Amino acid sequence: MNRLMRILGVLVVIFIAAPLVIVVPMSFSSARSLQFPPPGYWLGYYEAYFTDVTWLRPTWNSIVIATATMVLTMILVVPATFALVRHRFAGKSLADLMMLLPLAVPHIVMAVGYYSFLGEFRLVHTHFGVVLAHTCLSVPIAFLVLSANLKGFDRNLERAAQSLGASPVKTFIHVTLPILRPGLVISALFAFVQSFDETVVAIFISGRNAETLPRKMFDSIRQEADPVIAVISTLLFVAVLLALVAPAGLKGIRKRLQARTPPAAITTGR
Amino acid sequence: MGATIARLSQRPNLWPWLLLTPLAIYLAIFFVVPLADVAVMSVTEPKTSLANYERVLTGALYQQVFLNTFLTAGLVTVACLLVGYPLAYLMNHSSPRIAMLILLLVTMSFWTSFLVRTYAWMVLLGNNGPVIGLLNAIGLESTPQLLFTRFSSTLAMVHILAPYMIMNIYSVMRKIDPVLIRSAESLGARGFSLFRHVYLPLTAPGIANGCVLVFVICLGFYVTPVLLGSPREQMIAGLIGTQIEEFLAFGMGSAMAMILLVVTLAILAIYHRRFGLDKLWG
Repeated sequence: MNRLMRILGVLVVIFIAAPLVIVVPMSFSSARSLQFPPPGYWLGYYEAYFTDVTWLRPTWNSIVIATATMVLTMILVVPATFALVRHRFAGKSLADLMMLLPLAVPHIVMAVGYYSFLGEFRLVHTHFGVVLAHTCLSVPIAFLVLSANLKGFDRNLERAAQSLGASPVKTFIHVTLPILRPGLVISALFAFVQSFDETVVAIFISGRNAETLPRKMFDSIRQEADPVIAVISTLLFVAVLLALVAPAGLKGIRKRLQARTPPAAITTGR
Repeated sequence: MGATIARLSQRPNLWPWLLLTPLAIYLAIFFVVPLADVAVMSVTEPKTSLANYERVLTGALYQQVFLNTFLTAGLVTVACLLVGYPLAYLMNHSSPRIAMLILLLVTMSFWTSFLVRTYAWMVLLGNNGPVIGLLNAIGLESTPQLLFTRFSSTLAMVHILAPYMIMNIYSVMRKIDPVLIRSAESLGARGFSLFRHVYLPLTAPGIANGCVLVFVICLGFYVTPVLLGSPREQMIAGLIGTQIEEFLAFGMGSAMAMILLVVTLAILAIYHRRFGLDKLWG
């Protein structure tokens, strides 16, 4: 049983890795259409991506929309999470459920709703409309991450600060926020990625003016499978890799620096 | 803030309501109302009646699409389990370094946009792709069309959804106490029987979690079936999209969306009563 599982496991590793390793060589391919292995290599499609406004504009739109979504999501979710994790009140379990509900609704259903609802307010095909829609889908994810962090928070640290004379506001700024910072950063990152990757709602409501990168990619794959998509895929892939590996690398660098720094400096430095 | 809370708590506590209000208002306007809009459209477009539901539930085409959606979701779920279980097992029984590498790969796959992965499968399964090339090299002359079939969309969906299954099963496997396995072995359990009577039941919660999650996400999948699937074997989300975008048939599209929503929520509600919804994504 053990050996069988291991062999199957290795095959699955190949299955999972295959699509990820194929887009990188494809992005350097000189083939005009989908062809693997590539007949030759060049950087033409990279040049094409970085000079073509029909690709750069959706990329920029996505960055703007994802950033705005992240900010709005955090403004709404941070206070709400404090209320739900730290307080007991009537209707709390219903409120908890409401926070997660947008995650349970299929995106295509939300897309139909937004298409009609935002249309009534002339918000379809606007950045603002897409941000409003994306925020709804980011809220549950940001909430899940942040509430898990807040539940593990040792409140004695706040009590200690207050017993030493810190005002509630000072306690919040100097104790609560710094401890929560990693949770806040990850929560915001999740909200950003959720919006940056969101495709179905964006296909229906982002239109020409606020076209996001996934929408442009979707249209392009559907129509012609433009090889530039392999370039974007590779760039996105590198971004994900950096985001995953960077924290570990930073930790290593910090450790090395700390090894050379006197301990007192560390405690004030953080 | 803590002291303020303490002071306020003598009176009926207003703090949580104050903190919740902005989000509650936002969700009421931009989540509840659009959904209600869909519900209303399903019975008022083009005129007030239940005709849309009648057509969706009795029309042969729609029944076929619903059936196809459920079959595909079931197939994808089973395939994800078959793929995910051995990988979780391999991760759990490898050296920490290898387990880390596999975890990194799975996480990377999970975080990579599914448009990227859908595109990659188009390259892999395309007529000039490596899979067809391999089949030709083996000696198969007339290779089958792989792209734009039920096979290609199913395979891509399995690839896209497998990380959900893997993560769920792995997190349960990791918590299994090795003492349980050793004591089962000392009592004579070996090989398959050890797996069947000890290991499998211990990992069952992870399997249930993963299966519900994969099935529900697959039911509403739009992008991959539209891009990679056969146009003749649509899934429900794709058909909703066609109704809205091409025919502007908001009533029909909304009725189908409502049925999809009700089915999805029903599955999740059953799950919620037994395990709690927050466990699903945690």
